[in-house]
Amino acid sequence: MKAPVFSQLHGTVTVVIRGENIERFINELSRGGIQIWNLVPLPDGKMEMNLQVADFFSLRPLLKKTGCRVRVKRRSGLPFTMLRLWRRKWFGVGFALFVAVIFSLSQLVWDIEVKGNVQIPEEDVLKAAREEGLYPFQWIFSLPGQDKLSAELNRKLPGTSWVGVSRTGTKISIQIVEATEPKEQGLVSPQHLVSKADAIITYIFAEKGQPEVKKNDRVKKGQILVSGFQGGKAVVSKGEVRGNVWHEYKIEIPLVRKQKVYTGEKKERGYLFFGKTAIQLTGYGKVAFDRSQVLTEFDPLTWRSLKLPIGWMSEKVLETTELEIKLSREQALKDGIERAKRDVLAKNGATSLILDQKILHEKTDNGKVYMKVLFEVEQNIAEELPIVHDQGE
Amino acid sequence: MSRFVRKFRKWTVDALDLPSDLVLDLPRLTLIGGKQLYIENHRGVVHFSPESLHLKLSQGMLEVEGSGLVIKEIMPEEVVIEGRISGIKYRETEES
Repeated sequence: MKAPVFSQLHGTVTVVIRGENIERFINELSRGGIQIWNLVPLPDGKMEMNLQVADFFSLRPLLKKTGCRVRVKRRSGLPFTMLRLWRRKWFGVGFALFVAVIFSLSQLVWDIEVKGNVQIPEEDVLKAAREEGLYPFQWIFSLPGQDKLSAELNRKLPGTSWVGVSRTGTKISIQIVEATEPKEQGLVSPQHLVSKADAIITYIFAEKGQPEVKKNDRVKKGQILVSGFQGGKAVVSKGEVRGNVWHEYKIEIPLVRKQKVYTGEKKERGYLFFGKTAIQLTGYGKVAFDRSQVLTEFDPLTWRSLKLPIGWMSEKVLETTELEIKLSREQALKDGIERAKRDVLAKNGATSLILDQKILHEKTDNGKVYMKVLFEVEQNIAEELPIVHDQGE
Repeated sequence: MSRFVRKFRKWTVDALDLPSDLVLDLPRLTLIGGKQLYIENHRGVVHFSPESLHLKLSQGMLEVEGSGLVIKEIMPEEVVIEGRISGIKYRETEES
């Protein structure tokens, strides 16, 4: 058998016995019911054995009887460990204190972060949060619930449509979604609507103001379409007026179009660069291309998101050639008209409608086609004109 | 133990085929390899050194020889010895 099962719990001692009659002492022990184990005779006639602490003091009468002496060599087990620990109790207290401090520090709010605010200053958000009991260096567990905080902050901060409060570790983030408020309309002074160009009215709708013209009326540029004087008062006239307008375009189209294209031949050069200096490493030799284009690519060394001023630079020299594309006359005309139509729409708004086009004049000269085209366009012709009050001259 | 009782017991053991260690108070030795020796019915240690262990028996003496002998456990009737055991001598002395 090894040591009794709970011997470490009660504590055991290793003792060395010396004396003349150790065998007799051992016989007395076993007869006395004292448990011993690992009895080892030592070369110098002494013996070593293990026994439980509780039995140690009952050795005395037996020792006296047999004339042996005992000396404690080693002590082990829980009671002795506790004793040793007790001697170093201040160390234990310090360790416990350390753990407690670390734990309590991790239970503090250390940082509050405000995200997603554009219009609302961060200070306002933090102030509102403070009123709700959310500020740095306070206990996390004493915070109100996150849903409650969110709702309260949302209520306190005007101009937010949603406020979210979330905690990661010791950091609180307040996520704000700002309400998009309707744009404030600038104050507009009373105005007329006047015509942008000479036109024939096709549609008139005055939302505000006094209409001065009717459908199918011919108007001149600058003529008042919707008056700002209504019932003796100056108002901000508003409305939509559309009319047929004629635009004349002079168009020139070259019959030969030049285009730069890549031939597919290329040469690559590699450089190692340090700051502004680059050392060519590969791709030496002359470039055999008449026309070429150089594409440069930088590939700096990066560490996380930081770009280092050292890296690889590659240059690609691409051979190019010019291609001449010849257009037929019809093709050129079509292209020209197409381009002019796009211009009309760009200048007069996308709601414009091209009703008709007429080529008035067309000639081919010096490899170009010259032509004059008239477009009839139905478009918005209203333009605002502020009413200038009489200053009383 | 009177002569008659001993005779009677011996007869019982023979007649009923009982294990004699139980009835006649004889020692019983269990040797496991050369490493561990388990002795029941001993009557105390007479001599103990790393090389030899002498045990008193009810009739006679047991001498265990070896090296590095250790008494693993000792109880009034039993003893467990460990170590390198090289010899066991059993000396019976007829009780007078």
